[in-house]
Amino acid sequence: MDNGQGFVQRNYFLLRRLHSLTGVVPIGAFMLIHLTTNSSILWGAINGRAHAATPIGRGVETFQDEVSFINGMPLLLLIEALVLWLPIAFHGILGVVFALGASNNVARYGYQGNKRYMLQRLTGYLGFAFILYHVATLRWGWEWLTPANTAWSHYFATSTLAAALKGDGGQWTVPGIIVSLGYFIGVSALVFHFANGLLTASITWGIAVSQRARQRWGYLCTGIGAVVMLLGWSALAGFVFLVDHDEAHQIERRMVELKYGPEFLKEIEREHLHRPGMEAAAIRRAAEVPYPGPAPVIRE
Amino acid sequence: MSNTARGGVRARNVIFRIKRCEGPGKPSRWEAFKVPVEPNANVISCLNWIAANPVTIDGRQTTPVVWDSNCLEEVCGACTMVINGRVRQSCSCLIDEYAPNEGDTITLEPMSKFPVVRDLWVDRQRLFWGLRKVKAWVPIDGTYSLGEGPRETPDHQHDRYVMSTCMSCGCCLDACPQYHKEEDEGKWDRSFVGAAVVNQARLFNEHGTGRVLKPERLDALMGPGGLDACGKAENCVKVCPKNIPLVESIAAVNRAITIHGFKRIFSGK
Amino acid sequence: MSTSQRVIIVGGGLAGLAAAVRIAEAGVPVDLFSMVPVKRSHSVCAQGGINACNEVARQQGYSEYQHFDETIYGGDFLADQGPVLEMCNWAPKIIQLLDRMGVPFNRTAEGRHDLRLFGGSLFKRTHFSGATTGQQLLYALDEQTRRYESEGKISKYEFWEFLAPVTVGEGEERRCVGIVAQDMRTMQIRSFRGDAVVMATGGCGLIFGKSTNSVICTGGAASRCYQAGAWYANGEMIQVHPTAIPGADKCRLMSESARGEGGRVWVPRQKGDKRPPRQIPDSERWYFLEEKYPAYGNLVPRDIATREIFDVCVNEGMGIDGGNMVYLDLTHKDPAYLTEKLGGIMEIYEKFVGVDPRHEPMKIFPAVHYTMGGMWTTFTPGSYQPSQPAGAHKSGDRPPVGTEVGVGMAYGAPNNMMTNIRGLYAFGEVNFAYHGATRLGANALLSCIFDGLYNGVSVVNYIQQEAPSQHPAEKLKADAYEAAAAAEKAKVDRLLATVGKGSADRAFNPYVIAQEMGDEMTAASTVVKTGPRLQQCLSKLAELKERYTRVRLGDAAGWTNQTLSFTRAVGDMLILAEVIARCGLLREESRGSHKRLDFPDRDDTRFLKTSVAEFVPGTGQPRIFWRDVQTNLVKLRARTYGKVEAGEGRKQPEAVASAS
Repeated sequence: MDNGQGFVQRNYFLLRRLHSLTGVVPIGAFMLIHLTTNSSILWGAINGRAHAATPIGRGVETFQDEVSFINGMPLLLLIEALVLWLPIAFHGILGVVFALGASNNVARYGYQGNKRYMLQRLTGYLGFAFILYHVATLRWGWEWLTPANTAWSHYFATSTLAAALKGDGGQWTVPGIIVSLGYFIGVSALVFHFANGLLTASITWGIAVSQRARQRWGYLCTGIGAVVMLLGWSALAGFVFLVDHDEAHQIERRMVELKYGPEFLKEIEREHLHRPGMEAAAIRRAAEVPYPGPAPVIRE
Repeated sequence: MSNTARGGVRARNVIFRIKRCEGPGKPSRWEAFKVPVEPNANVISCLNWIAANPVTIDGRQTTPVVWDSNCLEEVCGACTMVINGRVRQSCSCLIDEYAPNEGDTITLEPMSKFPVVRDLWVDRQRLFWGLRKVKAWVPIDGTYSLGEGPRETPDHQHDRYVMSTCMSCGCCLDACPQYHKEEDEGKWDRSFVGAAVVNQARLFNEHGTGRVLKPERLDALMGPGGLDACGKAENCVKVCPKNIPLVESIAAVNRAITIHGFKRIFSGK
Repeated sequence: MSTSQRVIIVGGGLAGLAAAVRIAEAGVPVDLFSMVPVKRSHSVCAQGGINACNEVARQQGYSEYQHFDETIYGGDFLADQGPVLEMCNWAPKIIQLLDRMGVPFNRTAEGRHDLRLFGGSLFKRTHFSGATTGQQLLYALDEQTRRYESEGKISKYEFWEFLAPVTVGEGEERRCVGIVAQDMRTMQIRSFRGDAVVMATGGCGLIFGKSTNSVICTGGAASRCYQAGAWYANGEMIQVHPTAIPGADKCRLMSESARGEGGRVWVPRQKGDKRPPRQIPDSERWYFLEEKYPAYGNLVPRDIATREIFDVCVNEGMGIDGGNMVYLDLTHKDPAYLTEKLGGIMEIYEKFVGVDPRHEPMKIFPAVHYTMGGMWTTFTPGSYQPSQPAGAHKSGDRPPVGTEVGVGMAYGAPNNMMTNIRGLYAFGEVNFAYHGATRLGANALLSCIFDGLYNGVSVVNYIQQEAPSQHPAEKLKADAYEAAAAAEKAKVDRLLATVGKGSADRAFNPYVIAQEMGDEMTAASTVVKTGPRLQQCLSKLAELKERYTRVRLGDAAGWTNQTLSFTRAVGDMLILAEVIARCGLLREESRGSHKRLDFPDRDDTRFLKTSVAEFVPGTGQPRIFWRDVQTNLVKLRARTYGKVEAGEGRKQPEAVASAS
């Protein structure tokens, strides 16, 4: 390419390929890990190291354990910024710019590929919006966007998440239904976007060339997509339908107490209690309920 | 001889709705014609009938419809248009298939991605410009007698032959959601070239002598308007009248670009 | 050499593009005019292949010389022999060149060129690329043209219609120095300067209404040159292809390669047999070509196959269901083999008829296909001048002459394929050379490319050695150019002035006039002709010409007016139609494609001659005279293709094929 052209023109190939690459690594890979972690709310039931009496209780324990592990990582913010926020911003913004150049014609040419093309762009927009909401509410503290102004706390991962999804104390509210539905759509969109992106990456990179090779690659991507979709849906179902908020909170309290001592627990509970509009009542109520099972294992 | 085909079969009528436009920049309008069709009739024979009888369905005298055509055997690509919403050649569009009953309607529009010259005739120069952009030729040392060309296996010949049947009709471009109408020639270079041109680049990259220009073809397809603008909707391969494996061609050229691109990045050129 | 010299080429088919590439390569800028983007030229319709002796055929006893002998014999000795010899000698080089350009010729397991059997030969000598050989060859030349275009050596004028040659001087000195053309979109008419003009505008099938030809094959350009004084030769020699699918808009060719690959032509032995073809047992099928021509079988030359099919249907009433159709049957062949070798035409039949010819015999009938006649051209004979013409060549015999360049036609002679107007050349189907009274299958692609490559050099030599080198076109006075353009503008104004005026009677509708001309010419001047019928045809043409003077257009648009272009062409077609019918009437003999029922035999004493028509400006009628044919290389012999009378013998086509 000649000089005198803009940065985008000069690095067009690199930008487009980076766009494709970031979708898979790190974004896609992160999503895989994230959904695996979150779905531990379900598969935690078979976690031999968890002690809670109920299967979902063991899920809460496992999930909390995973969350605590992640939050205990050194330089977390830096890692997040480099591996997540930067690639997502790059992939998302560039993706929107590219997608704006599409002229959909599914009405005329209703082929499967064309529908996927249309959906890829639609899920891109949806997914990007969803990620912004997801991060804003649970990470940046924009609690006012959640059904009950819940601030997610990694000490009380399950219970605060259930509250952020459904409403105060994990009880269904109308905004909660909308947010949960939004999560369902958002997660589904992102998983589709990932799987279909993986599928078309075979063409972008020339990984699979012949019709047959692309077909096989297609089966692989469909399989991966189905598994990831299942992970996402099961995590969501776990937090929305299966978790008992109070039970979960009780387990979380005990885990904090065991790991950091009762003083620390009181301190962060006070912190929560002092924040206006918080689920103070629910926390208080949970404090009175006896812990349902033996002490959980804390990862050191 | 040909005239013997007109058996004594009763003609029926088909309604043609045709999108008309008197020239670039002029507004378009719809006109309907009632056309008696014989068995074996195709869109061309009906347009011929309209040319000789340019009267609309409501009895108004109009001008004959203008359209582009030549071979009428689906090998030249000229008579491509949008029929009932989809792009295809009009010569191979049989009335018995599209309008089997008395009074059925067939809609004709010009191709949507090229500037209209008049009525159904569009200007597809950009397609041929694209072939120049990717240097779609074998750079031979002139027409002197220099012996045989490179030998090739029947399988390889078969693959190249299929790619080489592309008649530059533009169906793949008209159906492509990433290919946009661009009247300004100066902007062609930045706007997606489309599957047909990529396929030709692959065709010549595959040729024993033609591959000499492979780096130049790949360079041409790496920038804006190149292959990265492909959105993988895969409509191209579905609407190709010659069943050319266009997505395969796109993937193959992308593979070559992947290798070529990284070589270039790391060689610092 | 003056670098400001330019050559104009009209027509972007095989001949035009080959010439453009050759001339541009010699360093002379080329202006290339075409009514369609050159990649859409009619050459794409050629299906079967291109003939050339190759090493395999050679070692079986074939030779370039035998190819030459077959072509002369096939053309019933009406072609000047020197150029044909040169063409056949050059054929293998052309194949090699096309090969280098990247044409995907079908291959053998070893990766060499596969060959197929074609009409008029017992040897496999036809190179092919699926069943769209013409398309593939044209694309190769189109690509080379594009390459020169991108280097600025060729300028394309696509969607420009040739209207007239521009000439200066009188008599012997008269030479062509440019053309007048019209942009079919903007309707702009202007003249272009060129030191030589090459017409490569193809045939005139549309004169016959529905033919296998493309929409642009009106013969309009040839007619315009004829009206400007260029001679038109052997106009009566029109090839009717035996196997085509009749359609509502045109007749679609079913390539001779279908028979070359084993296709058999038959009708039910029982008149009016209503059974579906596959239920009719072999013993109840009449393979009439195989029966009548045991040696060549289904691969007799086209005029013969056409007449036999015509005879079976029209005279004997033995056509399918009593109609004008016979079966062309490939169903005994492996469907996969057919797809590989004949995919293109299998697809055409499937798409346009809706029936799969791999499983159902095709229904076909003859249709007008090729114009052997055309603009008269001359040449400088080559070095081979035997004292006695050679007799019929037998396979394996040593050819009497080698394949050195220039034995048949002097290489680079400025007058090769030049018309009677100096500087005006005619290449490809538009000239009358090479094919005599019938063209052999797969010789058309050859003759077109040969003209462009071999005689392109002649054009270069002409502009560098003769008058244009002294008086280049760009230095000439503008008068001639302005006058020619003004004349064409006046013609257009006259036509446009008819819109909305005069009688609205359909008799003056240009499309109706064209259709009546097509019907009349097809009925009177194709497979079989008679004196009285041709007389009748001439009266009809006179009537149509009279009606044409009152023609009324339906479109006054000053932008992309196709009606204008078509109507103008109809007038030119009528003039050429008259030449075709008139020469047919005067040629009182039967030769090749020209079959006069009232003169059933070949008459070498009177008509071993080229019919030449000269336009008489005052009357608009042709003046016809006869010129000798060059016959000093091969001795005349009867053209029978070993026909046997009914019952004399039968032979299976497989036996024929195995002869190669």
